[in-house]
Amino acid sequence: MSQPVIIAQNVGKVYNPDKIPVVALESVDLAVEAGEFTAIVGPSGSGKTTLLNIIGGLDRATSGKVSVGGHDITGLSDNELIDFRREHIGFVFQAYNLIPVLTARENTEFVMLLQGKARAEREARTRELLQAVGLAEQMNKRPSEMSGGQQQRVAVARALASKPAFVLADEPTANLDSASAANLLDIMVRLNQEEGVTFIFSTHDQRVIDRARRVVTLDDGRIIRDEKR
Amino acid sequence: MLITIAWRNIWRSRTRSLVVMAAIVIGIWALAFMISFSLGMARSYVSSAIENSLSHLQAHHPQFGADAEARYYLDVPIELQEEVRKLPEVQNTTARTLLTGMLTTGKSPRGIQIRGIDPAGEAAVTRLNEKIVAGAYLSDDNRRQILIGERLAQKMGAKIRSKVVLTFQDVHGNITAGAFRVGGLFNTGNRPFDEGTVFVDRRELNELFGPADAAHEMAIYLRDPETLADAQRRVQQELADAKVENYRELSPDVLLYESQIQTSATIFIVIIMLALLFGIINTMLMAVLERYHELGMLMAIGMNKGRVFAMIVLETLLLSGAGSLPGLLLGWLTVTRLQHTGIDLSSFSQSMEQFGLSQMVYPSLNADMYLQLAAAVVVTALAGAIYPAWKAIRLRPVEAIGH
Repeated sequence: MSQPVIIAQNVGKVYNPDKIPVVALESVDLAVEAGEFTAIVGPSGSGKTTLLNIIGGLDRATSGKVSVGGHDITGLSDNELIDFRREHIGFVFQAYNLIPVLTARENTEFVMLLQGKARAEREARTRELLQAVGLAEQMNKRPSEMSGGQQQRVAVARALASKPAFVLADEPTANLDSASAANLLDIMVRLNQEEGVTFIFSTHDQRVIDRARRVVTLDDGRIIRDEKR
Repeated sequence: MLITIAWRNIWRSRTRSLVVMAAIVIGIWALAFMISFSLGMARSYVSSAIENSLSHLQAHHPQFGADAEARYYLDVPIELQEEVRKLPEVQNTTARTLLTGMLTTGKSPRGIQIRGIDPAGEAAVTRLNEKIVAGAYLSDDNRRQILIGERLAQKMGAKIRSKVVLTFQDVHGNITAGAFRVGGLFNTGNRPFDEGTVFVDRRELNELFGPADAAHEMAIYLRDPETLADAQRRVQQELADAKVENYRELSPDVLLYESQIQTSATIFIVIIMLALLFGIINTMLMAVLERYHELGMLMAIGMNKGRVFAMIVLETLLLSGAGSLPGLLLGWLTVTRLQHTGIDLSSFSQSMEQFGLSQMVYPSLNADMYLQLAAAVVVTALAGAIYPAWKAIRLRPVEAIGH
C-alpha cells in the first residue's frame, strides 16, 4: 500500500463564525493515496468544493489539520501556500480559467515559468502534455479560439505541467457537452493509469462518478460514505 | 512572459487603453509645447535685456550702484577697452556714459536716460545700428546727432533733423545743456526702454559732462553665455578698480523671470501629471476589478503576490509608455518645427513690447526637459499603479475564483 499524498484529519470549516455561523465541514477525515482516481460527490452545499479548496491550500480549515506529501499546510502563510500550490498541486476549474491573452502553449508553459524551469525543459514538457491531451495542433490558439472541451484539456495540461503530487478538479465536466466530457475523462483516466497521476474531483456528473475508482460522499459537511471500487 | 501578459492585457480593452494613451499623448505634447513656449518667452526676455541694455557683464565704479550718481565714473581709455576685448571669452566691449537728464523739444520736456555711446562699439555689442527705423545711426561725419526712440519721438513731436536740448548735471554737479539734432529713430521692441532712453556720441557727451575718457559703464558681450562665471572673474581681474557684475546680478528681474518660468514649468507638469494620475488609477482599477476572477486563478495556480503586483505595475508602465513615447515624439516634432519658424505674436505686439519681449517667440526644449517629462510619466505611472496593484494582491484566491 502506497503512502497517502493527502491526509485530512478532523477538518472542520465554519463560515461567518462571529455572525451567523454556517458549518461547511465537520470532522472530516480523509486520506488519499498516490495514483488514486477519486470523486468527491454529494448534493449542492454538502461541502465538496470547500473540502477541495482546503486540501488544495486555497482555503483554511477552521479546525483540524491537512498534510500534503508529508507537509503540514495548515500553518503556512498566504505566500507560502501560493508557493506550495505551485510546486505540489495542479488545479482544473469548472470554468477552465485559462489566461485569455496566452495561447494554449503559453498557458501550459506558464506554471513552469513561475517555477523557473529552463526553456528547453518547458518547451519539451509543453509539447508532451499538449500531445497527451490531443491538442498538439492547436497549441498556438488562444482560449477564445477553442471549444470548451479543448480549453478544459489545456487546463488539464497546465495542471500537470508542474509535475504535481495530485490534481484537484472542481466539477471539470460541468460546462462540457457529452462528447467533450467523455473525451476529457478518457484523457484523465489514461494519465491516471499510464502515468500514475493522482486525480481528485468534486463532481455531480454521473459519468465522472462511474469512472472513479473511489467515491467519497459528503452530506451536510460530513463524509457519509467512502467507497472503493 | 510577465511582459507579454502585461502588454496583451493592455489590448484586452482596446478603447479604454487608447483613451488613456490619447490623454497621455495630449498631456505630454501640451506640456512640451507650453514649457518650450515659456522657455522661448524667457529666452526672448533675457536676450532682449542682454542685447538691448545689459550685455552679459557690466563694469561700474564700485559706488555707482543703484542711484547711478554721475560722479562715480570709471576712467576707460580706449586702450583698456582693448585689453578686455582681447580676453578669449569676450566678443565685444563698449563704454557708456550714463546720465539722467531732461529731453526738451519744442513741444515738451521729458525725463530720460542719456546714453553716451561709442557708435562702433555699441553697434557691435547691442546691434543698435540695426534697430534704426528712420534716419541714420551715429557716425563721425555728423556731429551732435541724437538717436531717440520712435515712440518717444511721436510723443514729443520730434522728427528727423528736429533740434532737441539735453539738460543734465556735469561732473561738478552744475546744470549744463547741449543742443542736438535728431539723426535717427530706433525701435528695439522694448517699449519702456525706447520711451526712456536716448543715445548720443560719448565723446560729445563727455565734452559737456567733463572728463574726456569718463564712462559710467563698460558693457561686455561674451562669445558664449555659458562662460559667464569664468569671464566675470577674468574681467574683474583686468578692471581691478571697477565692480564687474553679470546680467543676473544687474537685473534681478531677469533672474526672477527665469526662475518663474522654471516654477511655472514644474506647476504645469504637476497639474497635468495629477490629471493623468487619476486617469491611470481609474483605468487600472477597472482592469483589476474586471479580472478579479482571473487574478484569483493566477494566485491559485502559484503566481505569488510579488509577481501579481509586478504584473499590474508593468501593465501600467507599458500603458503609460505607449502613450508617452508618441507624446514625446509629437512634442519634439512640434517644438523642433517651431524652433525654426517661431511663433509670430505681432497681434499682441503692444503688450509684448511693454514687457520687453520680442514679437517672435522661438520655443525650445533641451534634452533634460524631455527626460524630465519622461521621468514624470514613469513616476506618475508607478504612483498610479500602486493602489490597483495593492488591491489585486489583497484578493483571496478562493473568493476570487468563486466570484
